[in-house]
Amino acid sequence: MGKVFVFDIAKCNGCRNCQIACKDEHVDNDWSPIARPQPDTGHFWCRIEERVRGQVPKVRVSYVMHRCQHCADAPCMAAAPDAVYRREDGLVIVDPEKAAGRRDLVEACPYGAIFWNGELGIPQKCTGCAHLVDAGEVPHCVDVCPHGALRFGDEEDLAEEIAAAEALVPERAAADKPRVFYLNLPKRFLAGVVVDPEADEVVAGARVTAENLATGEVLAAEADEFGDFWFHQVGAAEWRVYAEAEGYLTRVLEASTVDEDRNMGPVELYRAE
Amino acid sequence: MGNNVLGTPIVKGLGFNSFGIGTNACSVDIDEENDKILRIRPLRFDEHYTPEDLNAWKLEARGKTFEPGFKTLISPLSLCYKKRVYSKNRIPYPMKRVDWDPEGERNPQNRGTSGYVRISWDEACSLIASEIKRVHEAYGPASILCELDGHGETKFVHAPHGCQSRMFDLIGSYTLQTRQPDSWEGWYWGAKHMWGMDPLGQNSQMNNVIRDVAQNGDAVLFWGCDVETTPLGWGGYLASRLCYWFTELGIKQIHISPDVNYTNAVHADKWIPVKPNTDAALQLAIAYTWIKEGTYDQAYLDTHAVGFENFKYYVMGGEDGVPKTPKWAEAICGVPSYTIKAFARYWAKHAVSIAHCNGGSYIRSCYAHEPARLEVALLGMQGLGKPGANQFKFIEWTLYGMDTVTPLPPSVEIPDCSPAYRGWYRSFPKSFIPKTMIPEAIMNPPVSWYGHIGAGFPREDQFDGPYTFPLEGNERLHMIWSDTPCWETCWNGGNEMQEALRHPSIEFIVVQHPWMENDCFFADVILPTNTKFETEDIGTDSDNGQWNLVYYERQAIKPRLESKSDMEAVGEVARALEKFGGIYENLYERYMGGKTCEEYIQAGFENTGAAKKMDFEEFKEKQYYPFPTREGWEEMPAGLIQFYEDPEGHPLQTPSGKLEYYSTTLASQFPDDKERGPIPHWVDEGAGHQERQYLERGRKYPFLLVSNHPRWRVHANLDDVTWFREMEETCKVTGPDGYKYEPVWVHPSDAGLLGLETGDIVKLHNERGAVLGGVRVTERIMPSVVYQDHGSRVDSVVLGRGGLDRGGANNLIAPYATTSTHAFGEVTSGFLVNIEKVDVLALAEQ
Ligand SMILES: Nc1nc2c(c(=O)[nH]1)N[C@H]1C(S)=C(S)[C@@H](COP(=O)(O)OP(=O)(O)OC[C@H]3O[C@@H](n4cnc5c(=O)[nH]c(N)nc54)[C@H](O)[C@@H]3O)O[C@H]1N2
Ligand SMILES: Nc1nc2c(c(=O)[nH]1)N[C@H]1C(S)=C(S)[C@@H](COP(=O)(O)OP(=O)(O)OC[C@H]3O[C@@H](n4cnc5c(=O)[nH]c(N)nc54)[C@H](O)[C@@H]3O)O[C@H]1N2
Ligand code: SF4
Ligand code: SF4
Ligand code: SF4
Ligand SMILES: [Ca+2]
Ligand SMILES: [Ca+2]
Ligand SMILES: [Mo+4]
Repeated sequence: MGKVFVFDIAKCNGCRNCQIACKDEHVDNDWSPIARPQPDTGHFWCRIEERVRGQVPKVRVSYVMHRCQHCADAPCMAAAPDAVYRREDGLVIVDPEKAAGRRDLVEACPYGAIFWNGELGIPQKCTGCAHLVDAGEVPHCVDVCPHGALRFGDEEDLAEEIAAAEALVPERAAADKPRVFYLNLPKRFLAGVVVDPEADEVVAGARVTAENLATGEVLAAEADEFGDFWFHQVGAAEWRVYAEAEGYLTRVLEASTVDEDRNMGPVELYRAE
Repeated sequence: MGNNVLGTPIVKGLGFNSFGIGTNACSVDIDEENDKILRIRPLRFDEHYTPEDLNAWKLEARGKTFEPGFKTLISPLSLCYKKRVYSKNRIPYPMKRVDWDPEGERNPQNRGTSGYVRISWDEACSLIASEIKRVHEAYGPASILCELDGHGETKFVHAPHGCQSRMFDLIGSYTLQTRQPDSWEGWYWGAKHMWGMDPLGQNSQMNNVIRDVAQNGDAVLFWGCDVETTPLGWGGYLASRLCYWFTELGIKQIHISPDVNYTNAVHADKWIPVKPNTDAALQLAIAYTWIKEGTYDQAYLDTHAVGFENFKYYVMGGEDGVPKTPKWAEAICGVPSYTIKAFARYWAKHAVSIAHCNGGSYIRSCYAHEPARLEVALLGMQGLGKPGANQFKFIEWTLYGMDTVTPLPPSVEIPDCSPAYRGWYRSFPKSFIPKTMIPEAIMNPPVSWYGHIGAGFPREDQFDGPYTFPLEGNERLHMIWSDTPCWETCWNGGNEMQEALRHPSIEFIVVQHPWMENDCFFADVILPTNTKFETEDIGTDSDNGQWNLVYYERQAIKPRLESKSDMEAVGEVARALEKFGGIYENLYERYMGGKTCEEYIQAGFENTGAAKKMDFEEFKEKQYYPFPTREGWEEMPAGLIQFYEDPEGHPLQTPSGKLEYYSTTLASQFPDDKERGPIPHWVDEGAGHQERQYLERGRKYPFLLVSNHPRWRVHANLDDVTWFREMEETCKVTGPDGYKYEPVWVHPSDAGLLGLETGDIVKLHNERGAVLGGVRVTERIMPSVVYQDHGSRVDSVVLGRGGLDRGGANNLIAPYATTSTHAFGEVTSGFLVNIEKVDVLALAEQ
């Protein structure tokens, strides 16, 4: 039981309110014994990563939050059991006094969530704003999120979200048991526009199927009124794409989403005769 | 930690609209004991009031509900504000330029390069007072230019701009720098002539439009509209929440812009990339497709419009032999003709509204009046005003105190605290100069123009004139007093302004400002003023979209360093002038107008309906009062539905009361104007501009620059916030020399040709000069276009025309000429540049 964070990419507009709120709360403010002041720059106890996906004119941006995962089996605690502790509510705290000089802790966190404060000589990270939680408030970053993309609360109250969630680094989830739960983490998209170059028209209603060459999985979509087709949240794979429409020769193209999202651009169809 | 985790909550409005208009109400926790600001938070409407008190509104559509929520939706531009209060750029004390000697050499040519020495307030004020007296006697009061417009902090009593004008009004006037309708140029100079819509030219009948779109709309066109950026300084994130709601409702969001702006990035269903300031071609091709395919609403035009036949004749090629086909447009605007046709057909088949904030360089480039009125032309062709087909805005929801511009359920009152306001109050001196023409007016008088050139004037004012500076019998300008020292990075052609500020005719420049930035470096005397955290004031917030508010702003901390508020600073000068007697006698008291600050705050409060609910003491204790939702808002007609249903009974404010595809006033007033004729056109070039890629200059400067309103600033404000500057992915690009360069977005295909990579430093340049920037190679910009936000802090290496700036303040190299011959707006985006990699380490050695 205890406190957890839920972060929903589908609701995040990338505003960085959370990131700046953390600065507002911790730079120049001393919340000892929980946290000493954060340096003005260079620390990202909460950081929004910007991922630009696709190619003109099919481009999306996804924002992914990076922060201390308040792991239930925290590698940082394992590395310094005397300097890092877990509160009863589950928040993991690097004790500013006991962790003095422990620069090694920066390396101990597999999520890059611990930062070295050179001036104070201490490792620092997100405290879950335990000082505010103890005063009956939510963390500052949570309070300022305009869309409820970042939430904080009791595990049991967020059970539904947790059930649907993924971990930021799935490979580590079993070992660390992170307690920041991610919804709608971006996968890949595959998209394009079906056109008839001879008529200089889009082919609305064209049927597009995409075959995953590794798994054999087949997805279907229809070109919309702009001739556009989209396959959202697909895997990183090689694809064979078929475009068909009444009176046209079927077109078969290869496309890859292995390295990045893919806008195939115009898929040209030619009349059957 | 002690026990003071939560601190004492006070209220501050942290919007940037200025002019005695407040927004972005925040709760601020202060630590009184230690004279310190702890944190900035959303303000809770429900702290002292219940949902019943607020008469809480909600919108319902398609089985889904939208509720505004009970706390303000503040942005990072508010949250970061401690960094502005404690900025290392704060001007610590009054200063004088080292080589400016009022008794000897004034060295105007050294402005912008020489240093400053500390002086006392007394010395500064007595220097300023003596200069005013001297200029009055030698040249007359109209030789003093006041630059007193500008956005910024939203203070009333301690008004950021225009306090000096109150003083000058008492001692014989001044010359006013009048600010053209910069935010709305195209709408003001163009759209007004087609559909009226005073005072600004955007739709001013917006009541209930959001609900109308939610219930009846199929699609919203975001035509140069970034809801995730420009409401930040102007209201907050309710607009962003509406975009999520539209998605939930299945309303298609189509973005038309050269870049993937921050809204497109997360909300768009479709992006149609269009080259900067070529929208007019795209629009004409849409009209062409509709006319050719018979898919526009001729019956509506028959009853709601005049002159459509003239427009049709032009579109189909009758006038110039060039039919405005999709193929014709494709070559200009870069949108494939098959997409233009698909788009035109989609629009004709569906209920489509157009959303803006203010329009971006769509309406802030050369000939901006054309795309603005073409938008109205297209809306008209599809039955403007019918359910789901309006134009609406995501910002400025109570602009000019008009209750018809609120597209959401309105509050019972738009609070007006004007009796508290001590800034410029639209007192219009006889002598004035459009802001776009200041450099010319300084260096090459006389200059002349039409109209008063100010947002808010009615359509007819554009034909008033010509006006001239200087007025007959008057001298040219010899002194400048600015509380808006960012002309260089905010207006058109800052390099020219740098020359004007160094011109020998300008004998004295005084600047009052909280931060050492931009034009401050051209001042002879600088007065340090302060932020709203350091003063007590009153504020309003009528742009959050939830409920309008009036609030009391307690002083958060003591004035920092040697600063005084803008109002107090001018007061000190008034005091210093008194020693000259005569017209200057008793000036301080006259300037203060007989009230104390507290009395002004109270007068502001008493001018609002809050005074009927509580007395001043209770107001100060609760610190805010929200105005509940107006009863019966559901019944208010949506948008232009009344005009749609009954054009005779509900006419537009045009001479005919209808949509004027042919403007008889433009035809009769400026019969020879080829750039803004009676019918909207595609304008290639004109006397002042050649900014097309396919014309001669385009060969030398092949890229079009997009210069948007910055996401991490409000114009010139906030450029120094370290918490933003360290965001390497989005805010600045650190060069090999460690300098934080303003980002330049370059498409991978152009980067490939130019040999550019993310992190490289480049020079954007044209005949007017060059500015540097840090490359970000990205798919967020279309090929042959580059993007760099506006408002970066000027850091010139070489001053004046042809100069070089390191800060990336691209306004320095924006065109000098105004929108067109008879439209005196600024051209600050959508202009030609070339781009070239530079070796900054080698450059530094030179
Ligand atoms: N390239 C490009 N240029 C543009 C535009 C564009 O789209 N692209 N848009 C244009 C538009 S719409 C606008 S509105 C203008 C904005 O132009 P401005 O309104 O002039 O810009 P601001 O930077 O908001 O404010 C003016 C000055 O007021 C200062 N200030 C803030 N608070 C205070 C205070 O309390 N006291 C004093 N004394 N000063 C204060 C700021 O620091 C700044 O120097 O820019 C225009 N320029
Ligand atoms: N954060 C922040 N908020 C602000 C301001 C600020 O400086 N910063 N300024 C305030 C002020 S004074 C104003 S006037 C408003 C301005 O509000 P707007 O005028 O709406 O803002 P812009 O950023 O100029 O332009 C909006 C979008 O237009 C698109 N665009 C640019 N050029 C073109 C073009 O040629 N054609 C088309 N179709 N689209 C184009 C870009 O995608 C851009 O994101 O914002 C206000 N709010
Ligand atoms: S994310 Fe890193 S710092 Fe946070 S609890 Fe896990 S290991 Fe420790
Ligand atoms: S919970 Fe507090 S410390 Fe952690 S990221 Fe949020 S604001 Fe920072
Ligand atoms: S505050 Fe919320 S919406 Fe904004 S970046 Fe953070 S999580 Fe995303
Ligand atoms: Ca229609
Ligand atoms: Ca000029
Ligand atoms: Mo503006």
